[in-house]
Amino acid sequence: MKKLIVVSLLVLLVLMPVLIGCQKKAEVAEPAVEAEPVLKVVNLLNGVLGDKSFFDSAAAGMDLIKAEYGDKVEVKTIEMTYEQTKWEPTLLDIADEDWDIIIVGTWQMTEMLQEVAADYPEKRFFIYDTAVDYSLGLENVYSILYSQNEASFVAGAMAAAITKSDMPLANGDKVIGFLGGMDIPVINDFLVGYIEGAQYVDPGTKVAISYIGSFSDSAKGKEMALAQYNMGVDIGYNVAGQAGLGQLDAAKDMDRYAIGVDSDQAAIFVETDPAKAALITTSVLKRVDQSLLRAVKLHMEGKAPYGEAEVLGFAEQGVGLAKNDIYEELVPAEIKAIVDEAEKKIRNGEITVSSAFGMDSDAMNNLRNSVKP
Amino acid sequence: MSAFFDIIFSSHFGYSVLRVSTPILFAALGALISDKAGVINIALEGIMLISALTGVIFSAITGSAFFGLFMAVLFGGLVGLSLGYFSLNLKTNVILAAVAINLIAIGGTVFILYLVAGDKGISSSLASKVLPKINIPLLQNIPGIGPIFSGHNVLTYLAFLSVLFIWFFLYKTPLGLRIRAVGENEHAADSVGISVVKTRYIALTISGILAGFGGAYMSMGYVSWFSRDMVAGRGFIALAAEAMGGATPIGCMLTSLLFGFFDALANSLQLLKIPYEFVSMLPYVATVVGLVIYTIRKTEKIRRIQEKAAEGGNA
Repeated sequence: MKKLIVVSLLVLLVLMPVLIGCQKKAEVAEPAVEAEPVLKVVNLLNGVLGDKSFFDSAAAGMDLIKAEYGDKVEVKTIEMTYEQTKWEPTLLDIADEDWDIIIVGTWQMTEMLQEVAADYPEKRFFIYDTAVDYSLGLENVYSILYSQNEASFVAGAMAAAITKSDMPLANGDKVIGFLGGMDIPVINDFLVGYIEGAQYVDPGTKVAISYIGSFSDSAKGKEMALAQYNMGVDIGYNVAGQAGLGQLDAAKDMDRYAIGVDSDQAAIFVETDPAKAALITTSVLKRVDQSLLRAVKLHMEGKAPYGEAEVLGFAEQGVGLAKNDIYEELVPAEIKAIVDEAEKKIRNGEITVSSAFGMDSDAMNNLRNSVKP
Repeated sequence: MSAFFDIIFSSHFGYSVLRVSTPILFAALGALISDKAGVINIALEGIMLISALTGVIFSAITGSAFFGLFMAVLFGGLVGLSLGYFSLNLKTNVILAAVAINLIAIGGTVFILYLVAGDKGISSSLASKVLPKINIPLLQNIPGIGPIFSGHNVLTYLAFLSVLFIWFFLYKTPLGLRIRAVGENEHAADSVGISVVKTRYIALTISGILAGFGGAYMSMGYVSWFSRDMVAGRGFIALAAEAMGGATPIGCMLTSLLFGFFDALANSLQLLKIPYEFVSMLPYVATVVGLVIYTIRKTEKIRRIQEKAAEGGNA
């Protein structure tokens, strides 16, 4: 009796994968009957959602693509978490599946993508916020860069105008603040634009610069922002993901102004902490969502520039300033005029903003030291 | 150079040293209690993270910062207790159990945060409360010193008062004596009728409670929200502070202040024309130098004792 049970269980166990396999095949077979091919787009995040920054924005981009094309596309966002060892295997697995377009982002994915993209020439890849090395070929990769330096230029112009204005929380010192996550090119690109923008309005503007050394330690971010506000900074700009949110807390403690980054950071607090939101004059937006929608549109039209890196600025809606209710109410008309003028001059090429990419570290240090108070 | 001294001798700087030291001090005292009982509690980091989230959630639900604090501390104590259960009753290696708690805390807090706040990064959608700041009458009016010592979060004062409490508890109460006895030599303690398991349970629970205060301070005092991984290694720095402080309450306080001093210094010095890499190195250099001084003094002490013993033997 016992033997019989064991044998029947074993048989069942052997048959199980076959049975399951049958079922799966039936499922997969169904969409193949449809006449129109569905574009399958997958978005791999090398982090998790909830960063209030560009991973959230990338996920929002997938929703935009779905909303635009409906049944013609199949979209999916996968959170690979911050565990670096999971990134390459996931990318390889996904490349093996039947996705048409695979999207990744950030400089940390560049090298992995360069290897994988070369091995899967029939697949299409987008990478945002960084560019792959096109000397390796890679005709199937489209790199999306953002001109964060241009948007930061406008923010810097606004900050310099505010610090010398007679707005209620501005003090006499012409010192503005910059709180970066790490001393890396993409963060410094924000900084370079910010400094140039500030000096465009007033060459005497000083910029207090701190790097947190982390994108998650918001307590340390607050501590550094407090140190800046204490030394006479009356408006600060945070470019440090979640860690930068500490600056907004510091702004509320000290009653000073702040500038958000990536997404509209005033919107995070407008419901739960309106007093804090009211100090966030604007946010420099990096529109990952719009850029992904645009890339898929270009792909649909057969115009996506594979094998190239493209820099998206104001004109392509790649970057922008959050001109929300707080901005409209808080910022005086003459400063708004400065902001609009700077934006216009960048759009028509009257102003070219330098970039931190390709800048050597000596030049970077000299620039930083030249504006430190 | 004058800018350097302007920063160090400003009252803002003194104030920020105390603020930065607070979470480290709570956790270092937690490490101290368990160390005295002969268990190394490396779960402080995870406990702080769990308590930070608990405080935010309960203060948002009830609208009371103090109820949030109470729950944060309660959860801290419970996690400490569970570490005791794993290591003392189920006989797992206490280090492994603590590592497990730390890992659970990293993922678990994000999971709970998502369930409660619908967000995986930050709890800003919850209207959580912040513990009040206290202005000390008279003291706050003294120029120079007043702005340094007055106007801190209530937990900052509690952290420094805890140093006294813990000192009194360890050295002046029977339970403190028992905890030390168990830590020094558990068999000797056992032979005179002290329950080793019970004593260690108590020590780990108190350790968890102290880390719970530290966690609550992170999310309800330091900043006004919970965010993923917000403790950022402070629980581990506290272990170093406790070891460097020679496992005494006063020593813990001094080393926590030292870490706080260099942390605050690194935060402020970046604003001057000093290379960023050099400045971020400072807290770690301070740790190494501190450990070296501590070790030299200790070996010196041992050498003197040995010399004395040798002299005694000759005579």
